[in-house]
Amino acid sequence: MTEPIVSMKDVQYRYRGQKEYALDGVNLDLAKSEFLVLMGPSEAGKSTLAATINGLIPHFHKGKLKGDIIVLGQDTKQKTVAQMSEIVGMVFQDFEAQLFSTNVELEVAFGPENFAVEREEIKKRIDENLNYVGLDAFRKRPPSTLSGGQKQKLAIASVLALKPTVLVMDEPTTDLDPISKMGVFEITHRLCKRDDLTLLIVEHETEEALFADRVALLKDGKLVKVGPTRDILSDVDLMESLGVMPLGIPKFFKGIGLTELPLTPDEGVKTFHDQNLKISPLAYEALVNQEKTALAKLNKPLIACRNLEHTYPSGVKALNDVSMTIYEGDMVAIIGQNGSGKTTLAKHFNGLLMPTAGEVDVNGLPTKDQGVFKLGQKVGYVFQNPDHQIFSETIFDEVSFGPRLRKLPEDQIKGRVEEALEAVGLAGMEKEDPFTLTKSGRQRVAVAAVLATKPEVLILDEPTTGLDYKEQKSMMDMVRQLNENGSTIIFVTHHMWVVAEYAKRAIVMKDGKIILEGTTREVFSQGEALRAAFLRPPHFVEFSARVGYTFLTPEEMVNSLEGVQR
Amino acid sequence: MDAEIYLDNNSFIHRLDPRTKIIIFLLTFVAILLFQDPLWMIPVAILVLIQLFVSGAHKNMRRIRYVLFVLTISSFVLWNLFSKGETPIFWRISVESLRYAIARTALMLLMISTGMILISSTRNEELVNGMIKLGMPYRVGFAISTALRLVPTIAASTQTISQAQRSRGLDLDSGNIKERISKFLPLLVPVFISSIRSTNIFGMALESKGFGAREKRTYYLKLEMRKVDYIILAFSILFVIVSVVLAIMGYGKIEGLTRF
Repeated sequence: MTEPIVSMKDVQYRYRGQKEYALDGVNLDLAKSEFLVLMGPSEAGKSTLAATINGLIPHFHKGKLKGDIIVLGQDTKQKTVAQMSEIVGMVFQDFEAQLFSTNVELEVAFGPENFAVEREEIKKRIDENLNYVGLDAFRKRPPSTLSGGQKQKLAIASVLALKPTVLVMDEPTTDLDPISKMGVFEITHRLCKRDDLTLLIVEHETEEALFADRVALLKDGKLVKVGPTRDILSDVDLMESLGVMPLGIPKFFKGIGLTELPLTPDEGVKTFHDQNLKISPLAYEALVNQEKTALAKLNKPLIACRNLEHTYPSGVKALNDVSMTIYEGDMVAIIGQNGSGKTTLAKHFNGLLMPTAGEVDVNGLPTKDQGVFKLGQKVGYVFQNPDHQIFSETIFDEVSFGPRLRKLPEDQIKGRVEEALEAVGLAGMEKEDPFTLTKSGRQRVAVAAVLATKPEVLILDEPTTGLDYKEQKSMMDMVRQLNENGSTIIFVTHHMWVVAEYAKRAIVMKDGKIILEGTTREVFSQGEALRAAFLRPPHFVEFSARVGYTFLTPEEMVNSLEGVQR
Repeated sequence: MDAEIYLDNNSFIHRLDPRTKIIIFLLTFVAILLFQDPLWMIPVAILVLIQLFVSGAHKNMRRIRYVLFVLTISSFVLWNLFSKGETPIFWRISVESLRYAIARTALMLLMISTGMILISSTRNEELVNGMIKLGMPYRVGFAISTALRLVPTIAASTQTISQAQRSRGLDLDSGNIKERISKFLPLLVPVFISSIRSTNIFGMALESKGFGAREKRTYYLKLEMRKVDYIILAFSILFVIVSVVLAIMGYGKIEGLTRF
């Protein structure tokens, strides 16, 4: 075997001021042109591990580093990050902050400029790499006008322009909508075929790991398991226990007792037929009917839009003739690609935005007559990024902020805060500093802060973004609990599996219009229409559709199998 | 939401070399500082106004119109109070102080305008590049451009954050001054934190793309002084020289004005 490109030996690292090791004895080698996907729960040390490869650790993030990281024979401790950047390219999750030029060409030129590459050669590299990521047509555009996916592609191109041997991407698609994700994935699929590039990608999306040569699972700074992709992804139980999302297809087949597990929809369909499995039409019908009866019980309209239009001052028409109703007790997912108008629509429900034509009624009254302050008591809105609203030194102050603004008496406020924290699973943490919590903890504080004003409707803008599988699940379980206790829930999301598992109804938006609406099952059965809206149901749903039904979870499907009595 | 300051409209002024624009910017400062009398400022004012409209930078001025309005009013009042003349009109205001206040207010507005013209018509990279060509070290130039770049980012996040807090019931538009100031705290903390966070990633991305890897660096953007650049520079320099000479000869002063 040839010399590894990246070699990590007994790597131990502790951030300055922290007691715990972020990395604790990691040994990992990357071979030439290998594609490794690194997965693990939040705080496992994935980003930390990625940052050791180009020397951001220990040079940028100060702390205590032990062990050796050798990249192409170079010790990262002896080199500056800038020097390493010729060998190791790094793409970050936050696509806004890593771009800083005023046009696309100059962004790509920045790296080579730093290495004093001749102008003609820079031009060549710009042409080559913009072409590679498909941004040729955008050369003169300012990066700020690109979509999230395009920004991330640009970030990749700008790093590739340095001709690195290793490319490290730290959750490059986490903040992207499904179609932008696919665009970035498509590039990584081409990249991993190149034999001059070794790829390490930190990824939450398990379906994406299918393309890797190897998968490494990390937890608490230790590598739990590293191995060929098939071996790791078949280990459904291990992944679940680590808090990494297992694939639905192997999970289903494991549920019926198979040991050789198919991973992809193609393999799944084949195994399904090979095993002579059949779905009981009766069981399926019962499932569908049960859903219909449950939804029919929701008949008190709470929010109604009639021919709603919204045109931004810039002249962009973000919503076009939207009519829909949300009933009390509903749990609705609004889905669609970035820029399809999801958030614009949601912001009309609590009066943050007002219709430029048409009408939105909440509780039978037009939002125009109520205003954001009054509506805020009925309709709570949790923003995507909790850091955009948290400002207090203690969780109590943060959560009591809303009730205080509404001038509630002090003793009532205390009760409200207690209740709200109880609901989000943070009971008794009133005295803690919200900024010391993890992202999911801060997200919970943000939800609690809104709950404390006791809204009837709760709008959550991408409540699961940036959380790991376990956190996403517990977040959504909590939201479902709120729904069961009587709150009406509306959430905007990019995570299709969250929609599949939690939403009662789904609304699909495209170009400011609703193109599809119905029970989640109905919506997910319309594969074509979803694809037209640039959405893609999870592999598992796709697989079930290909055997003739629409199942949302592996459990449902197992229960509906012919010959299974439950 | 578009919070960019640079306007991508390729006007005549956009096409000038950044060095020309930087020099004009500096010369304009000299020219407007020379005279006390507003009448003598009219030529510079006209030149600045022409640039403002040719470059399209007046659109950016409109975006900050409230700030400009407040500055204009307060400057006008203050300069009246801080100067005294011989021909009283009423109370403390005299013909001389009035003229002087007009001139000082115009001076401030012209300074803002000329700065706005520069950053509205010059890409960040061009600006840095121009400053370096004029002898500024790369790192200093880069720092200035980073500061400029932060403005739109912070403006955008401030907007999101104020929406988030408004939907929690924060009402920024009522209460007395003290109350209003304390109401901005829920905005400031998240704005600071998110700015610091993105600056941190910015720093990482910068180093990861080899910032400062070599002593020497190349520039993809090619700056080119064309004939128009020279003509315009020659005109501007001539204009300033004439102004300086006139100022030294004593023109453009307000007789009988005392300043405090």
